Amino acid sequence: MDLNLSDDQQLLRETTAKFIAASCPLTKVRELAETDTGIDPDYLAQTAELGWYALLVPEEHGGGSISGDGLSDAAIVAEERGRTLQPGPFVPMNVVGLALAEAGTAAQQAEVLPAIVAGETVATWAVASEKGSYDAGAALRCATNGGGFTVSGTAGLVQDAHLADWLLVTAGSEQGLTQFLVPASASGVRIEKLDGLDLSRRFSRVHFDDVALTEAELVGEVGGAGALVERQLDVAVTLSVAESVGAMDENFTVALEYAKVRTAFGRPIGSFQAVKHQLADASMMLEASKGMATSAVRSVSTQAEDASEVASMVKSFVGDAAIDLTQTCWQVFGGIGYTWEHDHHLFLRRLTADASLYGQPSWHRERICTIHGL
Amino acid sequence: MADATTELPDLDEYRAQARAWLEANLERRDPNAQVRLRGTEHRTHETIKPEKAIQRKLYDGGYAGITWPKEYGGQGLPASYERVFNEEARGYRTPDLGVAGGTTFGICVPTMLQHASPEYLQNHIPKVLAGEELWVQFFSEPGAGSDLAGVTTKAEKDGDRWILNGSKIWSSGAAYADWGMCLARTNWDVPKHRGLTWFAVKIDQPGVEVLPVREINGDAEFCQEFFDDVELTDDDMIGELNQGWTVANTMLVFERGAGRGEELIPRPTGRRQLAPDLVALAKDGGREKDPYVRQLIAKAHINDFATGQLGARIGDHIRAGSANAAGIASYGKLFSGTFQPVRARIGMEIGQGAALTWDEGDLSGMATSLNYLNGRVMSIAGGTNEVQRNGVGERVLGLPREPSFDTDRPFRDVVRDATNWTGKTTK
Repeated sequence: MDLNLSDDQQLLRETTAKFIAASCPLTKVRELAETDTGIDPDYLAQTAELGWYALLVPEEHGGGSISGDGLSDAAIVAEERGRTLQPGPFVPMNVVGLALAEAGTAAQQAEVLPAIVAGETVATWAVASEKGSYDAGAALRCATNGGGFTVSGTAGLVQDAHLADWLLVTAGSEQGLTQFLVPASASGVRIEKLDGLDLSRRFSRVHFDDVALTEAELVGEVGGAGALVERQLDVAVTLSVAESVGAMDENFTVALEYAKVRTAFGRPIGSFQAVKHQLADASMMLEASKGMATSAVRSVSTQAEDASEVASMVKSFVGDAAIDLTQTCWQVFGGIGYTWEHDHHLFLRRLTADASLYGQPSWHRERICTIHGL
Repeated sequence: MADATTELPDLDEYRAQARAWLEANLERRDPNAQVRLRGTEHRTHETIKPEKAIQRKLYDGGYAGITWPKEYGGQGLPASYERVFNEEARGYRTPDLGVAGGTTFGICVPTMLQHASPEYLQNHIPKVLAGEELWVQFFSEPGAGSDLAGVTTKAEKDGDRWILNGSKIWSSGAAYADWGMCLARTNWDVPKHRGLTWFAVKIDQPGVEVLPVREINGDAEFCQEFFDDVELTDDDMIGELNQGWTVANTMLVFERGAGRGEELIPRPTGRRQLAPDLVALAKDGGREKDPYVRQLIAKAHINDFATGQLGARIGDHIRAGSANAAGIASYGKLFSGTFQPVRARIGMEIGQGAALTWDEGDLSGMATSLNYLNGRVMSIAGGTNEVQRNGVGERVLGLPREPSFDTDRPFRDVVRDATNWTGKTTK
């Protein structure tokens, strides 16, 4: 957590934590993992009341932030979400909200955006390739077709597409990157809900079989979406990292407590340097990850000239650190960490998925080199 | 430490006076002067003389020890005056007293001001300010590094005198310093932390021998000292007899930089270059398109950035008054100690042949290998990574200590039994 929160932001953090503890604690997360949808029917409306999908949307479209810095507020929510492995499309809903607020048509802004803010409709983002690459435009292609467009290809890692009413589609074309807001029910859209490592969230493969679209579905100019897609990715990275940091903090806190109470060879295992030093290193990387998460919020929120570079540095660093940390926790838990009943595997699964979502560490390292013209 | 009975000078007036004095008394700094690389410093008593002369000018002009107490030759002004003077002095040739200067002004004197007697301070501090005394630490020993309380250099009482015998090492800058602040054992029949005392040792007195330690980078910044029946008196004592560990803890705080305040570290923002040294190496070898090399460059770049972000977060903790802020501050050293060796290896990997060989005397060509040879400074010096991890584990995370075999017994017995230690307690 940023150590420089305002009183209002501190209150937001407490309210968020209180809501999660009351309505969707880890025991509930476990129950939801066994359900078909993966989320309670009224969860979106309840969380919308807390403002979760409004923070990046201007007031004229029904949005609004707590502090005037919506991304900073959203990162606070994200960190609390991560701490308790909250389900639901928090990151993609905020990305779609941002995109529509920035570049949506008047109709999209009048009809879809307020419904997203109110949690009445589910929107998600189809950007990654079937195999999980975030090279923009690699997954889906857009061709002009008379006065309209045809989108084809397969997107992967589309979060909660099985619940979605709307898909924000990022497609490559001869003119450049182009985005559309497509009804999930559109002819030619085929959503396959997948099983996966992460038990707290659901992902789908979405096929676009020559989906015919018109200018009414366009989000922004044909071929002109490049800068906005970068910004969407930076925002998704920032929120995803904040969720990871929350999950890392909780995973580590529980492992540390375990190292103090679990005894072996006549003493707490955390007194052995072989264990203590691993925990010290993990805590250092956790502290550094918190500092990195804060820097991403600040650069991306202000759209600083180095926003994308910072977002990539932070995503790469925290992605690696998160996997190292959860692996260390696993080793500290020992055998009990290998049981289904223990919560550790939920964190291991979530953090490992987070590391790949919105670009793996190595993908972001290459992005940094490209940004610098190397 | 301003004297409340006297009026403080107006800050703007002070600035104007300082500016005029600097203009009249000091030379302008050469903007093209080389920045010193580790591994290229060779100072002597001869070469330090002109620097001490500049320090003397500052002292005579009333600009030495701006924040130090008046009764010890300082100016007794608040830190804002020192800041103003430093701002004005930026373009001038101020004294470059090297690593011993940093130790004198940043570590030794601040420690003395907290622990030494007024008579001692009146005797020494004005001379420090006048450029007559450069101080170094006689702290680590060949057999006591991370375990600093395990020193075996001893001072024995003989009538009015103390007789010092033993050896110290890793004292930076002792080759051209005047005095050493020396930790010695004065009681062997009590546990290790309770039998230590600090003494001032004049380096050119009989029985003191200073030899340079030639380091793996070819430099000789550090020294080893040998003490052979060196005579000291009670007046040379810094702090109380057998209370040396308290003084050492103060010194360690200054040494680890906490006294200088991480709160000054700004959160790095804005455009930055991509690890320029590594990119230059990669381009030189025609490998900048090699995906693996690009990954390594970005990794180093990210870790450099993370070092700054962690520093900024530590500053946030200090400002916010977080519990354990001091313990959290040690993450900074551990992080550098963890990632500097990684970065040094990355340089060697990318540099290939160019990192292994260079034209005779080509300083920039040797930079990669020099960096590699210095790669473990932060993971060893000032407390190894392992000691830092114990500190974090115990003070920040609240994990129990390992059982100790040396803290509750007479140090004499600890030393006797250490080599034949079997893990069984021998009480």
